[in-house]
Order: sequence, then structure tokens, then C-alpha cells
Amino acid sequence: MLRLLRTTSFRFTIVYVFIFTIAVSVLGVAVYRATFGAAAQYTDSVIDSEIAALEDLYLVNGPGMLTRVVRQRTAWRDDSIYMLISAPSGAVLAGNLTALPPESLAAEERFFDFQFERPLLDARGEEIGYENRGARGKISRLRADPESEQSLLIVVARDIGAREFLRGRLGAVIVRVLGVTVVMGLVIGLVFSRSLLRRVELVNKATHQIRAGDLSKRIPQSGVGDELDGLSDNLNSMLDQIERLMAGMRDVSDNIAHDLRSPLTRIHNRLTDALKGDAATKEQALIATLHDSERMLATFNALLSIARIESGEGAGNMDRVDIVAICEEMAELYEPAAQEAGFEFDFKSAPTPLIWGNRELISQAIANFLDNALKYAKGGKRIELSVRPTKPGGAMLEINDDGPGIAAEDRGRVKERFVRLEKSRTTTGNGLGLSLVAAIASAHKARLSLAHSALGSGDRPGLRVRLEFPAIKKKSARQTVKADEKLEAKSGPKVSAPAAAE
Amino acid sequence: MRILLVEDDAEAAAYAAKGLREAGHVVEHALDGETGLRMATAGDYDAYVIDRMLPKMDGLTLLSHQRDGGDETPALFLSALGEVDDRVSGLKAGGDDYLVKPYAMQELLARIEAMGRGRRRAAPATVNTRFQVEDLELDVITRTVRRAEKKIDLQPREFRLLEYLMRHAGQVVTRTMLLENVWEYHFDPQTNVIDVHISRLRSKIDKGFDHPLLKTIRGAGYTISDSA
Repeated sequence: MLRLLRTTSFRFTIVYVFIFTIAVSVLGVAVYRATFGAAAQYTDSVIDSEIAALEDLYLVNGPGMLTRVVRQRTAWRDDSIYMLISAPSGAVLAGNLTALPPESLAAEERFFDFQFERPLLDARGEEIGYENRGARGKISRLRADPESEQSLLIVVARDIGAREFLRGRLGAVIVRVLGVTVVMGLVIGLVFSRSLLRRVELVNKATHQIRAGDLSKRIPQSGVGDELDGLSDNLNSMLDQIERLMAGMRDVSDNIAHDLRSPLTRIHNRLTDALKGDAATKEQALIATLHDSERMLATFNALLSIARIESGEGAGNMDRVDIVAICEEMAELYEPAAQEAGFEFDFKSAPTPLIWGNRELISQAIANFLDNALKYAKGGKRIELSVRPTKPGGAMLEINDDGPGIAAEDRGRVKERFVRLEKSRTTTGNGLGLSLVAAIASAHKARLSLAHSALGSGDRPGLRVRLEFPAIKKKSARQTVKADEKLEAKSGPKVSAPAAAE
Repeated sequence: MRILLVEDDAEAAAYAAKGLREAGHVVEHALDGETGLRMATAGDYDAYVIDRMLPKMDGLTLLSHQRDGGDETPALFLSALGEVDDRVSGLKAGGDDYLVKPYAMQELLARIEAMGRGRRRAAPATVNTRFQVEDLELDVITRTVRRAEKKIDLQPREFRLLEYLMRHAGQVVTRTMLLENVWEYHFDPQTNVIDVHISRLRSKIDKGFDHPLLKTIRGAGYTISDSA
């Protein structure tokens, strides 16, 4: 219950109830004013004009006529009340009041409220008792001429008992309406809060289970498609992603275990044998072990690099870089080695806008491609590195060779960690090269694709590796690029210095 | 050289110390950052070899302290963290070189050698712009190379390669050092790209001379030195 009161929706309800109560109160006051306020004013003005009319009558026709008229009006038995008293004698000349109301003594020429006894009549008009009723009236002194000692006191009033009764009722109704408003508001608020709380509770329960380790659990949805469902939906897709990542991690650790266990087992067996062997065996075992450990360390380093690039750390070092210059440097670094290995090495470039990237990482990706080409395209004749602009203002980097290529069904697989195709088992390598490149590509939001190459033919379809870098998004960045292009146009195809080099 | 080694892993320290001593250096060893700082402040060393992650005080802080105090002793960081930003933070803290674990002993020796000599040579006010090894001359200003008074044409990168080798004449220069300093890459290619560049350079400067200057040191790297 206490939690219910602390919910946001309940706090909102309280605020709404408060505002609504004020609105109802304002409405009540307005209704009250419009009805009873107006009625009271009307009564007062009627009394005033009656007094004025009677005064005229008295001044024109004298006290006798006034007395008669008052008697006549009294006989109508409506809600009018009169009392005509002669002063200073105090004799009651006419009227239906049994006694002068005490309130009248202090209220000459002013309105006053008072109680009076009204006779109760039965069906035949017989008096059967009295009832106390409220009335409102005015007392006025009538004089024939200002010097005269003789005067008449007249009380003119109206029975307002019925009105007062109604007024009391209305007040009670307004209070009751207010009460009901408040109570209903609170109840509705609690109900809303509870249903909301129940749904949030479901989300919480699900997340608790997920935190406890059940990653396959998902947050239930009501199916209405409201904002809470939207929230659950988002949380669920987040969970999907986490689950996918966890699965990836598990795969990787399985792979690590597999890939490191075999060399470790090998080392273990070799050393066990070496302990029993002669000096030559021992030395051989040591050398082989050294090689194994070096390869394991290389594997570890590659894994660490991939992990760091994938976690986005490399992205912190990005800047606008001249990909043409990067490619040029890599071409320059690899050309001799390619020629040595019997390849014809081509580098083709077209003026390309700057891209957002990291020189070191892009170079590393190119180095990986070229290493692969040198390693796996044995028997091929050509390796070609090219870079050119793409339509949306990005850059496309391609490495082509006319080696054996990669079969279409294997292309997806080779980007995964530790995957080495059967044909490559005989060469050195840890199966991490393309995973590293894939990580670098995704850090650059670049698209990595593998295909047969135009250089290939027949049973040697060749391999085309393509990295498509997106255009720089920022407006200021684009302007800089344009400026650079202009510069380039002026100074010819010469490429500017590598952006990231020191 | 007197070398201060600050390394918390006893086994790794023993490996490094042994290699350094075998190469003729005097090694003193501190197991944590604070001890390292005390020893560095009190002692007189020719080089520091500092692990980045140390108990009590990390390697970067240690060296920053020394540099703030005016200590210009060349320093090399050893670290398992090998990304570019790690190197940059190491160099910013005042490090002269950065070596990623695991490293080959040859690599460490070559770098300490290069670091120590670089320092000593940089000390005179005039910066050396001409280098000579036997009859091979390299002029950084005119960008010319001559051997036995005969001009040799080199590509710009070949020139930088030779310049680096000649600046460190007599020392072993590893492939990684060349890749880092001549090409400015901090990753290791899987193929023998550097070797091919070296052999091209060698064919230009040594071919036709019965006395090769650019020698391969097996399992370590290369060196340019007079035959003595």
C-alpha cells in the first residue's frame, strides 16, 4: 500500500484531484452566487420599493388609509410580513407580526434578519400551532411633517425560510460533491497506480530473473502497444543483443580453449618426452616449444587487438584521414615483397575525399589483406590495390588477386574468429586475420565484402576484398573535404601527406 | 650501462635482468613503483626499464615524477598494453620507447642500446646531419648518399631506412624498430616485407663492393657497422 502511494501515477492523481477540487469549488461558488445571491438582492429591492410605496400612500392619504392597506396586504397570507406601530404610543395599528422583532430596534432604516413565529394552518384554515421561520426586513419611520411628534413605525419584511432551507441544502450538496470528488479521485488514482505498478512489477520481476542468470527470459508485453510495451520491446531487443554477444563470447572462449589447448597439449607431451630423451631430443623439443609459444602469444595479441577494436577503443583515435596516402604507403611497403614473391603489383588511385578513420587500423587491415594475398594467392600473377571515391562521398578500397579465391559458401565463415579453411591448414596463421579486419571495418562503419575477382579466370577465380568507407557526416568536416579537393584539383593529382603520421 | 629495472613480476624481471646482464649491463631491480621512484631519485642510471602496471605507483606516474624533477635519463616502458593510445600516453609521460610484452630479448637490448646512444649523441648542441660508416656517407641536409665517393640514388623511403640504420650504426636494429621508426606502423606484418626492403637497400649500397656494410643479425635484425 505504501509503495502504491509512492508511485508516480498516484502522485499525478493527487495533483489532479487537487486541481479538480478547486474547479468544483469555484463552480459551486458561482452557482451559489447566481442563484441565492441574486434572489436575496431581489428581495431587498422589493422591500425597498414597498416601503417607498407605503410612505407615499401615508403622505398623500394619511395614517388611516395606510393602516387599511397594510391590513389588506396582511390578509393575503403570502410571504409578506408587515407591522405598523404608532409612535410614541406604541399601539400596533396593523400587521401580522405578533411582536416587534428585537433586531429591528438597532436597525432603523437598515435591513435586518430575524426569526418570527408563523401560524401553522390546517386544511380548513384553522391555526394549529406556530413554526419559527427566518425573515428579512427593514424598519422605517414615517412622519407627516418633520416637526410633528407623531410618527408611525413600519416594518416590511419577507419570509425567507424556504429560501434559507434551499440555501442550506445547496451548501450541503456542494460539500458532498467535493467530498465525493476527492474520494473518487483518490480511488481512481490508486486503481491506476496499482495497474501500472503491476505492469512495472512484471518488468522488474523479469529483470530480476534475468539478472539471476536466466538470459533467455524476456519481459512480458500486454499487447496493447502502449509506451510500456514500447519500453519492454526496447529492453527485450537489448537483451537479445546481450544474449547474442554472450553467445559470441562463449564461441570465442570455446575457440580460444580449442586453439590454445592443442599447442599446450603438444608442448606438454613434447616436454614429457624430452625429459626422458637425450640432449639432442631436448634441444629439439625446446626449439619446437619456443615456436609454439611464439605462435600462441601472437594469437593472444591478435585476440586482444580484436577485442579492443570491437569494444570501440580504437574509435577514440579517429580523425579525418587521407586514405589515398595510406594506401600509397602500404603499396610502397608491400610492393617489393610482392615482386619478390613473383607477383605483379599494381596500385591504382583516384582523388578520394578524406574519410573518418584511424591510419594505424586501416593500414593494419590493408596489411592483412596483402599478407593474405601473398600467402594464399600462391601461383597467381597479379595483386592489385586500388582506392577510389564512392557516390555518397565515401571511399572504396579494393585488393584483387588472381589466386584460388574463396568459395562463396566459405566467405561468411572466414571472417569469424579462428576459422581457417582446409586448404590453408598447411600455412602459418591463426585464423584471426580477417576477424581483425572485420572488427576494424565495423569500427569504421565500413562494409567488408569478399567476391571473385575480375583478375581471376577459370579455376582460379581470384579474390576481391572490398572495404567501403562511408562519407564523413559532419557538415564542417564535409567543407574541409571540399576545400581539400579544390586544393588537389589545383595542384594536380598529388596526394597530401598522411594525416595521422607524425 | 647501469640500468634500473622496475618490474613487479619476479620471473619476468629475472628474465629481463639476465638478458641485460649477459649483454654487459649492470641491472638494479625494484619490485614496485615507490621503490622504483626512490631508487631512481637516489641512484645514477643510464637507462630505466619500467613496467607500466606496478603496485603502489604505476610506471607512468613514476616517470612523470622523474621528468618533472629534471631527470632526463632515457626510459623504456614495458607493457602488455600495446595499442597506439597506450604508446602515446607512455611517450607523453616522458618515455623514450615502448615495448609490448612479450618481447624478444634481442628487441629489448637493441632498443636500450639505441635509446642510450641517441641520448648521448643528442647532448652536444650541434645536431648531427652527416653520418659515415667506413666509406659510406649520408648527408641528411642534401639528402645524398655516397659510397667510395660514388653517388648512390635512393628512393625517399630507402633513404629514411638507411638514415635510421646509420644513426644507430654499430647497434642491432630490429624489424619492429624499423617498422615503427621508418614507416611509423605499430603492427607486425605476417610477411617478410621489411627483409625485402633491406635486401633492396643492400643491393644499392653493398653491391659491387667486396666489403658488405649492412649485415643481418640472425634472429634479431640488422646492423650497419664497420667490419672492425
